[in-house]
Amino acid sequence: MADPATTWLDRIRGLDLPERIRIMNVCGGHERSISMAGLRGALPAAIELIPGPGCPVCICPEEDVYEAIQIARREPVILVTFGDMLRVPVNLPRREIRSLEQAKAAGADIRPIASPLEATAIARDNPDTPVVFFAAGFETTTAPVAAMLAGGVPDNLSVLLSGRRTWPAVAMLLEGETPGFDALIAPGHVATIMGPEEWSFVVENHDIPSAVSGFTPESLLAGMYSVLRQHLEGKLFLDNCYEEVARPGGNPTARDHLERVMDVVPAKWRGIGEIPASGYALRPEYAGRDARRRYPGYADEGRKRAGQMPQGCDCARVVLGKIYPNQCRIYGSACTPRDPVGPCMVSDEGACRIWWSAGIRSEDAA
Amino acid sequence: MCLGIPMKVSAVDGFNARCEAKGVSRDVSLFMMQHETVSPGDWVMVHVGYAIQKMTETEARSAWEIFDQILEATEQPA
Ligand code: SF4
Repeated sequence: MADPATTWLDRIRGLDLPERIRIMNVCGGHERSISMAGLRGALPAAIELIPGPGCPVCICPEEDVYEAIQIARREPVILVTFGDMLRVPVNLPRREIRSLEQAKAAGADIRPIASPLEATAIARDNPDTPVVFFAAGFETTTAPVAAMLAGGVPDNLSVLLSGRRTWPAVAMLLEGETPGFDALIAPGHVATIMGPEEWSFVVENHDIPSAVSGFTPESLLAGMYSVLRQHLEGKLFLDNCYEEVARPGGNPTARDHLERVMDVVPAKWRGIGEIPASGYALRPEYAGRDARRRYPGYADEGRKRAGQMPQGCDCARVVLGKIYPNQCRIYGSACTPRDPVGPCMVSDEGACRIWWSAGIRSEDAA
Repeated sequence: MCLGIPMKVSAVDGFNARCEAKGVSRDVSLFMMQHETVSPGDWVMVHVGYAIQKMTETEARSAWEIFDQILEATEQPA
């Protein structure tokens, strides 16, 4: 028997496809599976797979990274953050400290972590030192941060929150003049937490075929087959090709933690600007945990190029699916994972980094 | 950081679960699984140290196939 991914590929190849159809994904995990499994090369040429806003590290406001660097350097704290954040550069002259990694090398106590559980453990082990958890991430990461706070944390722990919601960025694209895609693969783990229903607006308000997918080539191809058929037959609905994990209503406990601990607010995305209802902020009951309150005045939004992508970096357009990573002029030349210019080459979820790791070079056709 | 990892539960103690995958053992929080019963032998999808949902073994195994490829690619020097 043929393996399931091959079966889906054959089904897709058997469709009477239009000349061109663009399917966007909005999850670094999806993009990684697509690139590593070589799905672009395996699919008919008419199908374009576009990586969209799926990298929380890439769009984490430059001001927030700057703020984290300053707090770590100027306050007597331990700053913990997800490892990917360490190398994200802010817009300062080269001779100044431009990343958490450089601040760490200069003596600041900055520790990479992989889980909010490590943040509480570090706070518990260092009861006399304030610990600041710089927490950037989408719903999948922000819900665990909310769970951590809801469960109770040591008094010396505060949170510098840069949580973001995925769907408002897609809504912003769809409300723009040129959304740049004809179908959507919705993120499986965001849907696992928040519920697949969050994505029905894409179909209902914008007539764009959509499917929630998991992270195996099989689930991704099933989602692609679904949106292609929807497109061809004109019968649109939000399909769920990750039913076992992304269940109706999402994860009720996780959503409850999020609601109790955080409010939804308008929020900035690096290089893109403010997107309505796209961010999380701590609720007043948790204000005492807010690192921005404990250590005010460090964001310095008046700096030159504050909030922007690094000079010469096209990450903002990569994130919005306007260009492919290897269409950036310095992809693979001035900007490589070893010496990254922009956050999309820093993060494991950044499209530039994923494409580079998958062996795609600047001369390769997208 | 955003990579969800399927793991098998080996022991449960309150909101804390000992989970295993690929011979690696880790403590995972069940604080976001209060709507479900999680028992030893179950498979869970783990995100930044928190179980976010239960899953079947079949689903977990097929997820691991692609993760193996991804991890191999990311471990290579950039
Ligand atoms: S290749 Fe580097 S500079 Fe170009 S968009 Fe990607 S991260 Fe930015």
